Amino acid sequence: MPQVLNQSYNQLVEKAQVLFWTKGYKGVKAQELAEHLDVSTSVIYNKYTKDMLFMDSLDYYTSNYSDPFLKQLRESTEGLDSLKMFFYALIDALLDKTFPKSCLMVNTVVEMRNANQEIIDVYQRYFDTLIKSYKVVLDKAIELGQIKYKEKKDEYAEFLLGVIFSVSILYKIQEKEQLLEFIDEQLSFIE
Amino acid sequence: MRYKEYNINKVLEKCIPVFWEKGFRGCSIQEIVKVTGVNRFSLYHEFQNKEGILYNSLKLYDERYSKQKFDLLKKEGELKNVLQEFYLSFLQNKDEFQGCFYIHIGTELADDDLEIKKLIKTYLSNLELIISERLQKENSTKEDASFYARHLVGLFCTSMSFCLIHSEKEKEKHIANGIQVILNKKINYATSS
Repeated sequence: MPQVLNQSYNQLVEKAQVLFWTKGYKGVKAQELAEHLDVSTSVIYNKYTKDMLFMDSLDYYTSNYSDPFLKQLRESTEGLDSLKMFFYALIDALLDKTFPKSCLMVNTVVEMRNANQEIIDVYQRYFDTLIKSYKVVLDKAIELGQIKYKEKKDEYAEFLLGVIFSVSILYKIQEKEQLLEFIDEQLSFIE
Repeated sequence: MRYKEYNINKVLEKCIPVFWEKGFRGCSIQEIVKVTGVNRFSLYHEFQNKEGILYNSLKLYDERYSKQKFDLLKKEGELKNVLQEFYLSFLQNKDEFQGCFYIHIGTELADDDLEIKKLIKTYLSNLELIISERLQKENSTKEDASFYARHLVGLFCTSMSFCLIHSEKEKEKHIANGIQVILNKKINYATSS
């Protein structure tokens, strides 16, 4: 008999991603997932599996958190100053738990690595957008005369890719002031 | 008593890969019992709880694996090469045991577990100190050395997370690029703030 759900699949994904974000993929058992979503375990086993909910949680994350964030960055007008505000906002989100634990993509990279092709494709899309956005900002910065060594644009963009990762670990052990200073200094490498 | 009949480090040694592969939350005490061959009573007697086993595994990892990698930073040679070799030394194992156990466990638990937070903090401070000492040997002032060291630790965090999904070539390139961008900065800018 078909299960009657009073929640849409999107609502389930929205709830599931919070759980995966705080506990990771391996740390969530089917039973716990079912309770968290308020559905019976048979729904998790037969209809909306843990794997399916996890992959769609990653999609939910990129479309609801990182994409809007990055779109704003690409449309910004102040070059390196906009980049600084972008990282400051990230630190705020990490500390005030708008991002409940680190960045979901960073957590997933560390926990799952290249577990399967589907996940590799998700990384690909995410990092492509990320580096493209950084390059747009660097172009803006060049236009504004903020960068002396224009020929190093690609090296700088590659370096910036790492910032989300280092900050996602450092925020756990450092005070806000230290983190903001870390960002200021990281951006001072772009000269 | 039965629990004294095993070697603690041998037990912990077997726990490291389990925590690493399954995560702390993802592995059960039954699995630890199975892999170590030590019963639950003895495990709890020795370590109090699952957390206790994890904390001690981290300490063992530090003594047994990290120390010798950290020692690479004391080797003779050009700074860039020494650093590159150091970072890559963590990334040479196969598959799931690539990277750093501390960063791995820290990513999972440092938000909620104060003991883990403390362990990670000490671990990274220690690394920062060793890098800073190395830089001072290269004629950096103490202040400059600590500036670079701070960011080379940042690069360590990045390499132990981001580089886990890289191919060999991408890894080498990302790390070399990071070292270059950091060390290329002229120090008189770095200290003016």
